[in-house]
Amino acid sequence: MNVQQSPLWTTQTSGARLTGTWRSALPDYRFTPSPCLAACPVNGRIAEWIGKIGKEDIRGAWETLIDNNPFPAIAGRICHHPCQSACNRQYHDETVSICALERYVGDAALAEGWRFNPPAEERGERIAVIGGGPAGLSAAYQLRRRGFQVTLFDAKPKLGGLLRYGIPDYRLDKNIVDGEIERIVDLGVEVRLNAEIADAAALKKLRDAYDAVYLATGATSSKKLPGLDYNAPWVVDSADFLAAANAGNPVATGERLVVIGGGSAAMDVARTARRLGKRVTVLSLEPEDKLPAQRVEVDEAIEEDVVFVCGAMMRAVRPAAGGLALDCARVEFTPGKKRGEFAITPLENATFTLEADAIIPSIGQNADVERWRGLLGVAGPVIGTDGVWRTSVAGIFAGGDVASMDRFVTQAVGMGKEAAVEIARFVMGETAGSGFDVGPTLPFLEINTHYYPKAARHVPATAAVGERLQGFGEVQERLAAEAALAEAQRCFSCGNCIFCDNCYFYCPDMAITKLEGGYEVKSDYCKGCGLCVEECPTGSVRMREDTQG
Amino acid sequence: MELISYQDEGQFVSGHVACGGCAEALAMRVILNTVGSDAIGVVSPSCSAVICGGYPMSAVKIPMFHTTLESAAASASGVKRALVAQNKPDTTVLCFAGDGGTYDIGLQALSSAAERNEDILYICFDNEGYMNTGGQKSSSTPLDAVTGSTPAGKTTRKKNLIEILAAHRIPYIATASPSHINDMRAKIEKAKAIRGTKVIIVLIPCLPGWGVADNAAVRTARKAVEAGVFPLLEIEDGVNYRLSVSEKGDSIESYLKEQKRYRHLDADHIARLQAETDFEWRRLQQRVADSPARNP
Repeated sequence: MNVQQSPLWTTQTSGARLTGTWRSALPDYRFTPSPCLAACPVNGRIAEWIGKIGKEDIRGAWETLIDNNPFPAIAGRICHHPCQSACNRQYHDETVSICALERYVGDAALAEGWRFNPPAEERGERIAVIGGGPAGLSAAYQLRRRGFQVTLFDAKPKLGGLLRYGIPDYRLDKNIVDGEIERIVDLGVEVRLNAEIADAAALKKLRDAYDAVYLATGATSSKKLPGLDYNAPWVVDSADFLAAANAGNPVATGERLVVIGGGSAAMDVARTARRLGKRVTVLSLEPEDKLPAQRVEVDEAIEEDVVFVCGAMMRAVRPAAGGLALDCARVEFTPGKKRGEFAITPLENATFTLEADAIIPSIGQNADVERWRGLLGVAGPVIGTDGVWRTSVAGIFAGGDVASMDRFVTQAVGMGKEAAVEIARFVMGETAGSGFDVGPTLPFLEINTHYYPKAARHVPATAAVGERLQGFGEVQERLAAEAALAEAQRCFSCGNCIFCDNCYFYCPDMAITKLEGGYEVKSDYCKGCGLCVEECPTGSVRMREDTQG
Repeated sequence: MELISYQDEGQFVSGHVACGGCAEALAMRVILNTVGSDAIGVVSPSCSAVICGGYPMSAVKIPMFHTTLESAAASASGVKRALVAQNKPDTTVLCFAGDGGTYDIGLQALSSAAERNEDILYICFDNEGYMNTGGQKSSSTPLDAVTGSTPAGKTTRKKNLIEILAAHRIPYIATASPSHINDMRAKIEKAKAIRGTKVIIVLIPCLPGWGVADNAAVRTARKAVEAGVFPLLEIEDGVNYRLSVSEKGDSIESYLKEQKRYRHLDADHIARLQAETDFEWRRLQQRVADSPARNP
């Protein structure tokens, strides 16, 4: 029953009184990058796709993910996840399991057979991409999506580069690699396999034939340990060892292996060798808490009975009864300013001997920059590029391990994306960009943690150690659907509006209007109190000064 | 996160003259839209009377009867009986009063109406003082709080109106907070469906009166609930207690720090207030545990 308002009591509502004149500040809705986005090597819109998982829109989450990264299933398995180290939630309880969620979405896409949409328009410009590893594939994908004609050259019989030949199956199943690469090729990338671009002259020829060239040949030769005789039958190259094992054709070695190095590749070698039934010792210069490998890799290697001798170096190898004796010394390790730089001092009074049948030095990979001598400028151990991936030759761009010492897979994917953006600008005659900095991110203090009750992080299960050592099956499992949903709902969505309507409901002046996909402030009535800002869970509204004229 | 859900039907209108950031206006918005259009309001002199609007403007779509400070419940009783006489028994009669008009000056009328079990929904906006007249103390002002008339802090406790009301054995008593909008909405809906006297006390952190930042009324109210200073409860028939937020935090300090009226407190005072809060919380829990509905 509706009671009619009688004109006896009032002549009008208070709507005629414009209380907005009281105000000195006005709320302003704006997107602010989350710390995870800034930390992400591909600057993925993480809060946005996690929000979609939270609404059980997995397809939507995937569509957002693939804007920046065509490899969610791969990255979800092996990314070094700087996003999680940057996550604001760690200051509340624990970081969000972003990687596990990415894999959850990536695996769904492969299982459902989701494909990339063809480019909206075809363009005539032709781009050559050299190298079918993460950087080259990422660039090819991004260029093809923009409608360019892309030819991808790879020296190997199959695409994937490090993804295929460098990372063992127990971390990254090759069906996943095949699935995510196939989608890119199906976009209409012309692939030339077993097609090595041998030298500077060949590269120049390619440059002349195409509108632009992207060079992403990786770092394929193993760094050499000084003083070690690489011709000795008991020295095995780490890249060869991994490639052979990944191909199901392991290199024959003795029973006792010493792996020299403390990075991801050393962990891959050590753990692969354990799966081949070897007894493995890892010898690293770095102390255990400063190993360059991801912590989870070290922990899983320890679980798998890899013996770690950290903070020590090998000084000489000599034949000994039934094998080799490695004369070693403890060292004092001083990290340098940049990643990968350090100083060591051997401690003379702390020497010891290790016994082994073979040694696998695994101290990193070098890019082959000599091949392009006379054509491309060099910056230290890599091809020289400016802030937007241009080499010294106009129209030749470079990225990935050949042009950078940032050697994680997803960093290469990010470089490929950035280069694609710049290549597109170049071939269309536009001015080069000014870099890829995303600007200030949303600080933890702008999150209203009241809206996020403390909740334990969901971490994917891992296979039992005994089971792992039986073969090369994946160690990490996929999150279950309920766990993924709950984990997604832990995300603060820093700086990304989740349309929760708190600003609307907490306004005492009814000064906020809900619109399709956003909100509008009625400046006639907003008194500028800031309750909407204070009660916004995500930090998506801020007050700005408003002098009203 | 839990989303707020109610439909704003436009029952409360922009342009009212509450201070920017006022939690009382926020609570009125929830209450008026939940009660709906089939209602008549009675309001005694208070901030809510000012917010509802002086002639000729009204911020409220239902008719509001502005009555005297001591007689809100009595006036509401009369309005309700007139509606019944007109064969409109389903129209809600809603009473808005402050703590001055409830704990002090209107208590006699409220007690009488409660004793008669008049069918009214009585809302007390409790900002713990006569904040509309410049911030004097009321009998709702808590121990140690500074007001214009207690410059060194109040020396007596806040009157326990909830227990007074419970002693009347009215069908429904509840407390609500602008920080817990869904809870407030649910309590209004529940009260609306009950015949008889219903009283809901809503905590309103007063921005100038308590010395709270313009954007902090909701946060302060939330801290009052979380610290157990202002428990969110329901009492049915005066004996069945239930807590809507059944756990409290360890410390009231963060709540006190939001407000200038407690700025003079030293550690000993804070410890004493903490002990009072803990003691009251334990008593409340005991009442919940002893409720007949839980022990049939």
